[in-house]
Amino acid sequence: MSLVFDDLHKRFGVIRALDGLSLEIPKGHIYGFLGANGAGKTTTMRIALGVLRADSGALTWDGADHRSLSRATWGYLPEERGLYPKMTVLDQLVFFGRLHGMPADRAARTANEWLTRLRVPDFATRKAGELSKGNQQKVQFLAAVIHDPEILLLDEPFTGLDPVNVVLLREAILELRARGKTIVLSTHQMETVEAMCESIAIIDQGRTVIDGPLQDVRRSTGRQSVILATEIGHSLAWTGDLTGVRVIRPGIDRVELGLDPGVDPDSVLKAAITRHVPVRHFEVADPSLEQVFIELVGHPPDMDTSLAPIVDHGAGLDTDVDPDASTQENPAA
Amino acid sequence: MTERPSDRPDPILPNAGIVARREFTERVRSRPYAASTLLLSLLAIFVAFLPIMIRLIDRDTTTTIAIIADDVSLAQRSESIMRGVLSTTSGGSPDTWVFTIQTDREAVKSDVSEGRLDGALFATRGASGRLEFTFLTGQGLGADRTQFVAIGTFAVAFLEWTDLVQPSGEVPFLPPTLQVLAGAGPTAGGVPLAATEIASRQLLGTVLIVILFLTMTIYGMWVAAGVAAEKETRVMELLISAASPRQLVLGKVVGIGLAGLLQYIAILVPAMIALALQHPIAELLGLGSGINPPLSGITAGFIVAYGSFFVLGFTLYALIYAAAGSLVSRVEDLQVIALPMSLLGIAGYIQAVLALSGGLSGFIRLASFIPFWSPFVMFTRLTVGRVEPWELILAYGLLIVSIVLVAALAIRVYAAGVLLYGQRPGPRRILRAVINPNG
Repeated sequence: MSLVFDDLHKRFGVIRALDGLSLEIPKGHIYGFLGANGAGKTTTMRIALGVLRADSGALTWDGADHRSLSRATWGYLPEERGLYPKMTVLDQLVFFGRLHGMPADRAARTANEWLTRLRVPDFATRKAGELSKGNQQKVQFLAAVIHDPEILLLDEPFTGLDPVNVVLLREAILELRARGKTIVLSTHQMETVEAMCESIAIIDQGRTVIDGPLQDVRRSTGRQSVILATEIGHSLAWTGDLTGVRVIRPGIDRVELGLDPGVDPDSVLKAAITRHVPVRHFEVADPSLEQVFIELVGHPPDMDTSLAPIVDHGAGLDTDVDPDASTQENPAA
Repeated sequence: MTERPSDRPDPILPNAGIVARREFTERVRSRPYAASTLLLSLLAIFVAFLPIMIRLIDRDTTTTIAIIADDVSLAQRSESIMRGVLSTTSGGSPDTWVFTIQTDREAVKSDVSEGRLDGALFATRGASGRLEFTFLTGQGLGADRTQFVAIGTFAVAFLEWTDLVQPSGEVPFLPPTLQVLAGAGPTAGGVPLAATEIASRQLLGTVLIVILFLTMTIYGMWVAAGVAAEKETRVMELLISAASPRQLVLGKVVGIGLAGLLQYIAILVPAMIALALQHPIAELLGLGSGINPPLSGITAGFIVAYGSFFVLGFTLYALIYAAAGSLVSRVEDLQVIALPMSLLGIAGYIQAVLALSGGLSGFIRLASFIPFWSPFVMFTRLTVGRVEPWELILAYGLLIVSIVLVAALAIRVYAAGVLLYGQRPGPRRILRAVINPNG
């Protein structure tokens, strides 16, 4: 039993939003849906919900065409947050629950239970417009799950939440997974995906670049990475000169290095010992998801939000920043 | 996979009902609703009392009436008696009434119809000796003055009998006949209406048309603003995943329509009370009974016709407003849409007002079948004129067919419009949305 997107195509005028996107999401999984802005994530979700129709391709759940399914099969947390500002939280949750076929009394009971679980039972009687953005987001999450849908499509669910609420929401999502729900997490946040998802897909320009279990995707490039730490006062700048080795995260006494396929991680340790560097930490790991993404797509998922490289016109910005490093380094990650 | 998204099993109910209920509750509980209800009630009462105020101000206005008689002596007698009697009876200054003796009937008729004369009195002596008067009333001649003329003609006949006939003692007094014809007013399918009837119907028609126009425009804007606000607050993103465009559009139109209907009743009831009080207040102010009681023309059929024109007219306009609201990203941008929509309504309203005061030109008859105008114009024709049953059926039929077509188009535009942000609606975009809502 799975959610299958088969060769979806969608154009908006001259823009090709989806160009043969195919995925298979196993039932009961938390599935990471990774892509830069404009990659086609929201369009795919809107097609699943029936808000848009694909130009061609098929979308099935357990073999059944998605258009034959009731709307209540889906729960959707859109990236654009919004509620009725003058309506109380309870009234809106009941409203959305009823639109999905719940009787009013059951919707009210479930809404109150969820508000209590998220530690905000007093929100029930407050107007949405009086709540902070983060709290409105929690309410909107409840609007997506109140009717207990089989499939949850969550578009950037953690953006704008403080760390405490991120933890609360993560727990809620994991609990829904434990109850057998299939959850699609669309996000830029690699760390979230690595922590929460069993399987992922990376999409770019409307196409699936890679998909599968998280571990397989991380190993798909054939690269490994090494984390090397030394005592303060011993430079690690030499690591960048090693053959087949790139500095992914530079630092004074700690670096993360990316190794080209075929490069033995032990060669880095040997080079350190040869240079009499007192090694305090040496770790061989799969590359981070972000590294895989950059390698496969060519830029970080949230490139739009990272600084553009400095252009030196010879007018005096004295910097040693490597232009390539700024595109590789993702300050948000 | 070429079917429309609405191929999903999405029956209109119960979701349209749930949306309608939310819209109704939110609207009725809002402060602007209470404020506009109060304001519109006061406006309707003001319009209902306007004729009394005008008559109060008009009390000293000079009324010029031409007299045309079979013979010179009858003309002179009529002129002197009418002048004397009416100046006394109406209580105005001596120049309130001016009577002029004239001879050219056709010239006088045209003067009345074009407003150079307020009226014309034709006097003839019948074979039996009875005086027969025909009073041609001009535009703006209140029905109260027509009644004074009636009193004057009675005085002319009575004095003529006492002076000329009665001395012989053989002929009993024969009360004069008086036929009142509208020289410039509505002609009700060629059948002249009594002036008192015209005045009463015009008053009722004006009050009802003003309310119809105001409420349809205001409620239409409520629908557009509601849709635009859902986009602006981005709650639309949640809504479109929970209900189909058809359920959302119809729910919104019905919910706001019911809130409007409730307000409508709240406006209409005091306006009707004001109209009912018209008669006693006029008498209290010494303005004479003037016109027929304005509510005397209201029948059950009339109320059904008015109610159905309101409901159908509102539905037609509201569907377009809903589609229009979906094309803007912010409520402020609605001004782009509000103007052309208001102009469409005003065009119908003006024709309705013309039909109220003038005859029934070919264009107004045609306008009374055009769906965007028929709620105003056909209703006006019902108020002051005669409408054939087939004409009424045709107007309703065209209105209902247009609602179905416009609903289909509006839902397509809405389905596309709610996903668009940051662009102003232009004709090309609207057309593209209608042709391919998902493109």
